[in-house]
Amino acid sequence: LKDEESAKPSFNFKSYMLQTADLVNQALDAAVPLRDPAMIHEAMRYSLLAGGKRVRPVLCLAACELVGGSHSQAMPAACAVEMIHTMSLIHDDLPCMDNDDLRRGKPTNHKVFGEDVAVLAGDALLAFAFEHIAVNTVGVSPERIIRAVEELAKSIGAEGLVAGQVVDLNSEGLADVGLEQLEYIHLHKTAALLECSVVLGSILGGGSDSETEKLRTFARYIGLLFQVVDDILDVTKSSQELGKTAGKDLLADKVTYPKLLGIEKSREFAEKLIKDAKEQLSGFDLEKAAPLIALANYIAHRGN
Amino acid sequence: SSAPSVSTPPSWTQFDLKTYWTTLIADINQKLHEAVPVRYPDQIYESMRYSVLAEGAKRASPVMCVAACELFGGNRVAAFPTACALEMVHAASLIHDDLPCMDDDPSRRGQPSNHTVYGDDLAILAGDALFPLGFQHIVANTPSSLVPEPRLLRVITEIARTVGSTGMAAGQFLDLEGGPDAIEFAQEKKFGEMSQCSAVCGGLLGGAEDDDVDRLRRYGRAVGVLYRVVDDILEDKMNGEDEDERKKKKGFSYVRVYGVEKAMEVAEQLRAKAKQELDGFEKYGDAVVPLYSFVDYAVDRSFTVSDSS
Repeated sequence: LKDEESAKPSFNFKSYMLQTADLVNQALDAAVPLRDPAMIHEAMRYSLLAGGKRVRPVLCLAACELVGGSHSQAMPAACAVEMIHTMSLIHDDLPCMDNDDLRRGKPTNHKVFGEDVAVLAGDALLAFAFEHIAVNTVGVSPERIIRAVEELAKSIGAEGLVAGQVVDLNSEGLADVGLEQLEYIHLHKTAALLECSVVLGSILGGGSDSETEKLRTFARYIGLLFQVVDDILDVTKSSQELGKTAGKDLLADKVTYPKLLGIEKSREFAEKLIKDAKEQLSGFDLEKAAPLIALANYIAHRGN
Repeated sequence: SSAPSVSTPPSWTQFDLKTYWTTLIADINQKLHEAVPVRYPDQIYESMRYSVLAEGAKRASPVMCVAACELFGGNRVAAFPTACALEMVHAASLIHDDLPCMDDDPSRRGQPSNHTVYGDDLAILAGDALFPLGFQHIVANTPSSLVPEPRLLRVITEIARTVGSTGMAAGQFLDLEGGPDAIEFAQEKKFGEMSQCSAVCGGLLGGAEDDDVDRLRRYGRAVGVLYRVVDDILEDKMNGEDEDERKKKKGFSYVRVYGVEKAMEVAEQLRAKAKQELDGFEKYGDAVVPLYSFVDYAVDRSFTVSDSS
């Protein structure tokens, strides 16, 4: 995609991203200390602290600030969505699922700790995400924390993330997967957690219902965009550039946007998604919305 | 003297545990049935239902939760959503424990285990979906008029901790790894945690003070481990003297490690400890009777809880 928006005034996205990711990394490191039994906690930390881009936590924190909240109100939730993201990757990589050896440029969790520990580490991260929000969120009313818990639960279960994974599993190797089903998969498998990240930020930052819903729609477009770009990158980049196995979708005979639409039309679709996403932010203070706009641009234009 | 209703428990002096328990099982099963509907994509919901609604489930956790809530005069309506959630997260743990890469158990409660029917991939996902469904169910269905939000957050925390890396996941891990000192700890984690959590959640939902919650915690843990020790003793009796059979059985047994006599001693100690904790609930009168009867039931197994087991 053409990088036409990256020259927006004064806001330095790169340093915002690095600083915020750094805060998130520190918070994650502190949230999951090495406790007994050590090996489970090592396995949890191995994947959680593997240095992802922290897109979900940053979305959560940026949304919280956009509605007038402070970082500290949303930090436990930001960590929680990263814990959930990590657990879903750990379970996804298992031999009985996608059977992946490489993740974020490192051997996958079960390759290092064994399948049994990988299953348990994932389960433990899932549970801990809820505990962390419930116990460590400060400066927010219990009503709003409860709403955040419900939102998180909804978006990662059989109505959300898991639904996407199931339909994805079912679609593998099928010749007749259409656009609608592909969109269902991505809206659930990828967009649900991105959406949840933004919505949690808004709820915990004190956003009104209408603000939260606008941000929800924004995130849904961004989530779909994320996947369209991922599909394009899988065709056009090498494993080394991606930090994970490239061309895997083709090998696994997975349906993708480039396969259904071609590369050009996929790119056009991505352009439309980012435009629709940004429209959702038009009612907000433009300066305060700068991080989310920049994040949307980043997701559209990233190289891995 | 008065007709039984949801909010008025039966006269405690003529308390009949079997009736109390079977009535609650029917209620819980109905609520679980509604809580896990079949929707698109069907297989995941069917896989979840297969384990959550497995026939012959004793629903010990929900019943304990309701009884602890009622001890403090709480309405059982306040406890039902959490009672169901306890079954969901417990089912999730068991589905994952049975996987080939874990205990590799082809059956559970006399039925093929979840992955045997639905495949390993769906079994992983069914567990991953049941954990959050438990939390979602609590938040969406607990009447806020009966339970203030801060209490509900404590319930959610309690459950998350119970299934997490220092609770049941730790128990399962230590069980897999073995090691001399780990065994007993692992069993306590695996079997004490759920019962402890059920009692504590019930107390929190019923409005218990912190001292009473701590008492419930110790009581629940003792009852959970007691139940397991007695299971091992009963299993040993059924298997008789067949040494080969005994050796073939995998997993930990108190009897195999300590012998029958020592196991019975441990059981007596746990029974006494559980009852001693309950003595501290004197001020609540006869409402504590169900909790006493769970202790005796764990040892005596004086009746069969569900029609099909």
